[in-house]
Amino acid sequence: MFDWLANPNRFNRITEKIQPCILFITIITLISGLYFGLFDSPKDYQQGDAVRIMYVHVPSAWLASFLYFSLAISCVFYLVWKHPLADLVSSSIAPIGALFSALTLVTGSLWGKPMWGTWWVWDARLTSMLVLFFFYLGYILLSNAFERKIDGSKTASVLAIVGLINLPIVKFSVDWWHTLHQPASIIKIGGPSIDDKMLLPLILMIFALSFFSLYLIVLNVKTKLIEKKCEALLLKSNLEEISKTG
Amino acid sequence: MSLQSSFIQIFISHIKREFLINFRSLVDVISIISFMILIVTLFVLGIGPFEEKLALISNAIFWIGLILAIIPSLEKTLQRDYDNGWLDQTITSPTPMELILLSKSLAYWLIVIIPLLISLPLFIVLLNINLKLIPWLLISILVGGLSISLIGIIGSALTLGAKRGNILLPILIIPLIIPILIFGVGISEAVRINESPLGNLFLLIGFTLIYLVISPFISAFLIRIAISR
Repeated sequence: MFDWLANPNRFNRITEKIQPCILFITIITLISGLYFGLFDSPKDYQQGDAVRIMYVHVPSAWLASFLYFSLAISCVFYLVWKHPLADLVSSSIAPIGALFSALTLVTGSLWGKPMWGTWWVWDARLTSMLVLFFFYLGYILLSNAFERKIDGSKTASVLAIVGLINLPIVKFSVDWWHTLHQPASIIKIGGPSIDDKMLLPLILMIFALSFFSLYLIVLNVKTKLIEKKCEALLLKSNLEEISKTG
Repeated sequence: MSLQSSFIQIFISHIKREFLINFRSLVDVISIISFMILIVTLFVLGIGPFEEKLALISNAIFWIGLILAIIPSLEKTLQRDYDNGWLDQTITSPTPMELILLSKSLAYWLIVIIPLLISLPLFIVLLNINLKLIPWLLISILVGGLSISLIGIIGSALTLGAKRGNILLPILIIPLIIPILIFGVGISEAVRINESPLGNLFLLIGFTLIYLVISPFISAFLIRIAISR
């Protein structure tokens, strides 16, 4: 299936059709999710209106982790099968994933101010999200650190795969560290029982942000394909000029 | 059998080579130890000379000092061999690159971590570390140091030939070695509050074993990318 999609022209043709659908689903779910989240869902008996931050926070946290996973998978595709499109996909995922992890940190901090009384608490989840952000950052920095682009993408792909091995360990060790050091109990977002009226906007927002990031990734890949085409054309015209002038 | 013995010979000869190169410039080891002393000094100057406060965080200071002092030296482990063309030559030899890199990280461990152990009494005096911690600190530095050098080889291979590699290396390495810090400090903390440190120690050993297996393969892969430029 990936072999079949890896052809850039075919990719362009298919996404041409799919892209409006993705955008449509995004808009529908985003509007309904925001409506249910902001107006038609109950206040939390402890957290009050601040619970509404959850409708952005939880989907972006989920997406930040999921996007890292897909980034690493597409890096595997790039390194093993050497699909050039896989590299474009992973380099398009990276900034979006980094943004979502930053968004998670910001919304977590905004939620923390009324709940914990401070902007930042070294909570286990926030800390591992911070580490995840630095993995994204390392990937982006490393892929831009080489003279030739292909070296950067290969090296950074290896880093992403090492990160995939290392991130569960970091997550586990941070949880471990937290249980050792944290005596106070912290209110956890989304406990085992959650009201149906809260669950609906949450699921809608998860869908909305997932489709939104899918839309952005496809857009990003298409832009990069066009960029590559421009480069190739420029190279070709330069070569022709050289051969003309002799 | 002969293949095995030749592998072991290659392994030993590479470790010998690293020893020769590094002990002709002992400056590296001395500078790491003095850097670590300076980091500890900065911490103490920032906190203030309060014994009770220091007793609580001396383990953390020790580990952070250790990690920060080691990181700058990691970059050189492969960069020198890359610059003078040694890696280009060895990659064409029939010796597997993975074996060479494993011997390189073990040599780094022997050359950098062991001298740090010799300087341990100094830090025990400086940071007022409890004496009953010494055997556990020794073990945890030995194990944690091995995983730092294994991850360091990966980091060094990642930044081979990169622009601003010396700034990039810490950004790439520190997220990877967070578990070492947590488990390492966990061992000392458990001893300090009279609990069994074995849980943390086993986790640290497990972490090191994972990297003992994957690090040579990953860094050899990266070096093949770097050489093909």
